[in-house]
Amino acid sequence: MGPALKTCAVPSRRSLVAVWLASAVLLGGLLVLAALARGPLDDPDPARQRPGLLDLGSLPSPAPRVSAEVPAPGRAALVLFERVDRLAGLCEALGHHRFAGSAVVVVVVVVVPGPGDRCAPGIAVVGDPSGALAAQFGLDRPRDGGVPVGYARVDGRGDIRYRTLDPSVAAQLDEIDTILRAAK
Amino acid sequence: MTGTRGSAPAPEAARILNVCLWCLVAVVVEIGLFASYRGHDARFHWLTHFFVGSSAALLVMAAVAVRTRRPVPAPLVWALVGHLFAMIPDVAFTAGAAHRPWMDIFAGHVSSHFVPGRNLTWYLVFLVCLGAYLAAVDRLRSPGRG
Repeated sequence: MGPALKTCAVPSRRSLVAVWLASAVLLGGLLVLAALARGPLDDPDPARQRPGLLDLGSLPSPAPRVSAEVPAPGRAALVLFERVDRLAGLCEALGHHRFAGSAVVVVVVVVVPGPGDRCAPGIAVVGDPSGALAAQFGLDRPRDGGVPVGYARVDGRGDIRYRTLDPSVAAQLDEIDTILRAAK
Repeated sequence: MTGTRGSAPAPEAARILNVCLWCLVAVVVEIGLFASYRGHDARFHWLTHFFVGSSAALLVMAAVAVRTRRPVPAPLVWALVGHLFAMIPDVAFTAGAAHRPWMDIFAGHVSSHFVPGRNLTWYLVFLVCLGAYLAAVDRLRSPGRG
């Protein structure tokens, strides 16, 4: 740093007040912008969306039955929740992604609020027209009040270790790798 | 007035330019950090760690200002350092390490998200801490000090 930074004069009181007011307006504006940017599929409580932390709140808790393979002793599972009109995009992303981050075998299942459909090879699609499964997993309702879009991580003991809404899940599958590794 | 030392202080214009340069560096880095948080929902996290980290920095800055009897140099850099400290677990997350409860040592990185009022609370805390620092600087001008 130059000598000027070692010899700081005391600003006038008016300048100090201006700094405080400018900071309040600028950062308050950022708060408002961040709130406006939230989408209809986001969690009403942003702190609960993509927290990155296992066993948050009431977790771990037993996972409900999703399919014959989930939950199953010794087999971890990733349960993705998606809407019917977005399923193709998620399946395409899953088809190009290899969940290589986990040392355990992971069963991947996609739950949609409609009839079961085809997805990427090796990935089952389970129909859940009423959205009851998402509720049993404890996923929050998104801001638009519809069925959740997100995912849950079930460990080999059949416990839910992580759950979150994530409207951008198809674009952030590598983030799931981190969660899978953490919940061995 | 406190804070000037020696018989040949730097010209005012050069001093302001130097301070502004460091402010600009801090602002550019903050913009880069903001952009580094993927996803629109991550702005919530950026704001939390900015408010908490820079609030802690402001309290340290106030103590240093009182102790040294002059404003701290490059104040935005202090705030930036506080923010960087608070977001260290997010750097680890990007590298593939999930969050753990012990990561609260980084300015409450995990639990700070869950305070009542969420970021609005931390915004108000930040404004109080900023006010504390500015008040500490303002007191340096009082007669009989320094």
